[in-house]
Amino acid sequence: MQPAKQLAKFMFLALGLAASILPAAAQNREALTLCQTLEPPILDPSGGAAAAIREVTYGNIFEGLVAYDRDGRIVPALAREWSASADGLVWQFRLRPAQFHDGSAVTAADVKFSFERAVAPDSKNAQKWIFEPIAAIATPAPDLVEITLKSFTADFLEGLAMGDATIFSPASMGKAATEPVGTGPYRFVRWQRGDRLLLERNDSWWGPKPALKSVTFRFISDPQAQVSALLAGDCDAHTNLGAHEAVAQLRADPRLAVTIGRTEGETIVAINNAKPPFSDLRVRQAMAMAVDRRLVNEGAVSGLGTPIGSHFSPNHPAYLDLTAERPVDLARARALLAAAGYPNGFAATLRLPPPAYARRGGEIVAAMLGQIGIRATIEPLEWPQWLERVFRNKDFDMTIVAHVEPLDVNIYARDSYYFGYQSPAVKEAYARTKTARGEVERREAFQKIQRQIVEDQVNLFLFMLPKITVARKGLAGLWPNWPVPANPLAELRWE
Amino acid sequence: MNPAWRHPSFRVGAILMGLVLGAALLSLVWTPYDPAEMRIMARLRPPSAQNWLGTDQFGRDIASMVLVGARNALLVGFVAVGIGLVFGVALGMLAALYRGRLIDEAVMRALDFIFAFPAVLTAILILTWFGPGLVNAVVAIGIFNIPVFARQARGATLQVLAQDYIRAARLAGLSRPAVMLRHILPNITGLMIVQGSTQFAFAILAEASLSYLGIGTQPPNPSWGRMLNDAQTYLGTAPHLALVPGLAIAIAVLAFNLLGDGLRDLLDPRMKER
Repeated sequence: MQPAKQLAKFMFLALGLAASILPAAAQNREALTLCQTLEPPILDPSGGAAAAIREVTYGNIFEGLVAYDRDGRIVPALAREWSASADGLVWQFRLRPAQFHDGSAVTAADVKFSFERAVAPDSKNAQKWIFEPIAAIATPAPDLVEITLKSFTADFLEGLAMGDATIFSPASMGKAATEPVGTGPYRFVRWQRGDRLLLERNDSWWGPKPALKSVTFRFISDPQAQVSALLAGDCDAHTNLGAHEAVAQLRADPRLAVTIGRTEGETIVAINNAKPPFSDLRVRQAMAMAVDRRLVNEGAVSGLGTPIGSHFSPNHPAYLDLTAERPVDLARARALLAAAGYPNGFAATLRLPPPAYARRGGEIVAAMLGQIGIRATIEPLEWPQWLERVFRNKDFDMTIVAHVEPLDVNIYARDSYYFGYQSPAVKEAYARTKTARGEVERREAFQKIQRQIVEDQVNLFLFMLPKITVARKGLAGLWPNWPVPANPLAELRWE
Repeated sequence: MNPAWRHPSFRVGAILMGLVLGAALLSLVWTPYDPAEMRIMARLRPPSAQNWLGTDQFGRDIASMVLVGARNALLVGFVAVGIGLVFGVALGMLAALYRGRLIDEAVMRALDFIFAFPAVLTAILILTWFGPGLVNAVVAIGIFNIPVFARQARGATLQVLAQDYIRAARLAGLSRPAVMLRHILPNITGLMIVQGSTQFAFAILAEASLSYLGIGTQPPNPSWGRMLNDAQTYLGTAPHLALVPGLAIAIAVLAFNLLGDGLRDLLDPRMKER
C-alpha cells in the first residue's frame, strides 16, 4: 500500500473517530438534567402537601391564573389581566388564549371546575383556605371568570398564585396524580418512580418559546450522592443541595457555580402542644431557653440559614426580629421545668424526617434539651411514615421540619393542625390580616401573630432554610431564592 | 514461655483484644472529653494537640467517641454471643440427648430454618418491624448466633456421649441431667469458646453494619458503625472522620478472629500432638 493512501486512510479513520466523539463532548444545548432532593409522591399539585410536587410542576406542567415570579411578585399566568371591585368582593379574570397539553382550550369553565374541586369536602388540597372565601364563580364568557367573595380577603390573589391553585382540565382529572395534563410550557412524558421524570417542551404554549427542549428531573436524596452526581456531571444542576458541608468543596470546582439563597422554609422544632407535659407553657418556655438557635443553624446547615425568632420570614415586610426574646438561660429553664412539676426532667421522643437539617438538627437539639433534663429519644422516620404518624395522626412529642410555603403563619390559626395549638387571639389577628384594608393594618396583624406565638412558645423557631443552588457554569436562569418552592424551566438556558 | 504465647495468631489476636478491652475499660474512668459534648463552633477539626483524632460534625471529640465506642462493641459482642451460647448450647445438647426422636428433629429443623436466612438481611427486617435501636439489634444478632452454637453443641455432645466413660457413668446410676452437666458440658466448653470468639467478631461487625445503616445504635449513644455513617457525608472534606472508626472496627474484628483461630489450634487435642 502506498504511503499516501495509508495516510489518507488514517486521516479518514481519525476524522470518523472525531466525528463520533464530538457530538457527545459538545454540550446538548437543548437538554438539561436537573437534580432535586425529594421525589414527589404524586404529580397533582392540588392533592398533597409535599413541596416536591410543586418543585416539579409549578410553572412547568401546571399554571394558575396568576403566578409568583422569582422575586415573589405576582405576575399574570393563564389570566391575562384582572381587576377587583372597589369593595374587593368581585374579582374578574380575563383568560388568555391557551391550550391544555391534550389540545383542548382553557376556558372559564375549567377555572370554575378546578376551584370548586379544590374546596370540595373530599378534596386533599393542602391550602383550602385559598378557596374558602369564594361565594360564587360565574363564567359570563368562555374567557372571563368572575369570582365573588363572601367577605373582603386581603390575600386572595396571593393564594391564587400558589401551586395549589392550578387549573385542571376536567377530562384529564382521573390521571392527574401520575400522568398530569396541564397548560404549562412543559408537558409530562415519562416517570420512572424512584429515579427520574422526563418533561418535554410544549410547543403550543402561550409564552415565548423556552430554550430547553427536554428536561429530566432526577431525585437524589442522599447528600453525599448529590455531591458525587454534580462532580461526575450526572446532574447539570441541583436545586437545593442537602450537603451544606460540601459547599466549600463545590465552590472550589471551576466547572460549578454555587449560589446561597433563601427559601421561605421556617425550620422549627414542632411541639405537640396538645399532649402533656408539652401542654404546659412553662415546659415549652424552658425548652426555648435550652435550645440555642445560632448553634443549631451552625451545626445543622453549616451556618447558612438565617436565625428566626418566630414563624415568619425575614423576606416579608411585616417581619419582626424576635430572636432576642427568651434568650438561652439554662438555670431559668431548669427552674421553669421544676415549677411545672418536672424537677428531674422527663423522657420524650423526637421523630425526625430524612432531610439533613432535621437529622443533624435533631441530634443537636436533643443534646441541648438533655442539659435541662429532657431526655429526648431520636426516632428517624422516612417521609411517608412522618406524614402519616406525625403530620396526620399527631402521634409525636417533638419533631423538626421546615414549613416551606410562603406566609404560612396561618397554620397557627387552624383548628386541627398537627402541633395542636389553639389560640383565639391568633385566630382573631389572622382574620384581621384577611380583612385589613391597608398595608399598615395588615402588617400590624401579622406582627401581633408573630409576638403571640412566641409568647405562647408554640414551637421552637430555629432558622430559615437556605437554598443552595449548584449548577454547571453556563446554565442561566435558575431561581436563586425560593419565594415558593419552584423551578420554572422556561426561564433556563445554556449560555 | 507459655506455648499459647508462641502461637502467632493467638499472640496478635490477644494483643489487639487487649487494646480494645483496654480502651473500653479506660473509657469507664477517663476520656479526653465528654464524648457527647458538642462544641459546634469547633466542628470538623483535623487531629491536633487538643483533639488527638480531631472533632466530628458537631465538634465532639473523636478520640473520646472511639474509646466509648469500644465499650459499645464489646457489650454487643458479649450479649449477642451470650444469647447464642446459652440458648444454642442448651438446645444442641437437648437435641443430642434425644437423638433421632421428634424433639431432636423439631429443634434442629427450626434452627436450620433460621440458619437459612442471611443474618444481616434478616436483622434489617426484624429492626424494620420492631423499630431501630441497640437492644433490638443485639437481640436480632443473638438469635442468629443460636443455630451456629446449637449445631456445634449437638455434634460435640454426640461424640462425647459415645465415649465409654459416659456409659459407665450412666450404669453407675448418674441421671441424664447430671451426666450432661458434669461430663458433657466441660468436654465441649473448649469448642464453644473457639466458636464464641469467631461469633464475637461477627457480632461486632453486624452491629456496625446495622448502625451504619441507621437502624442499630441510635444517637447520642456512640457506635463505630454510626460514626462511619455520619462520616460518609464528609468523606470529601474530612476523611479522618471515616478512617478512625473504620480502623477501630477492623482491629476489633481482627482481634477476635485471630484469637478464635489461635484458640482452635491450641484447644484442639489433635493439634497438641504435633
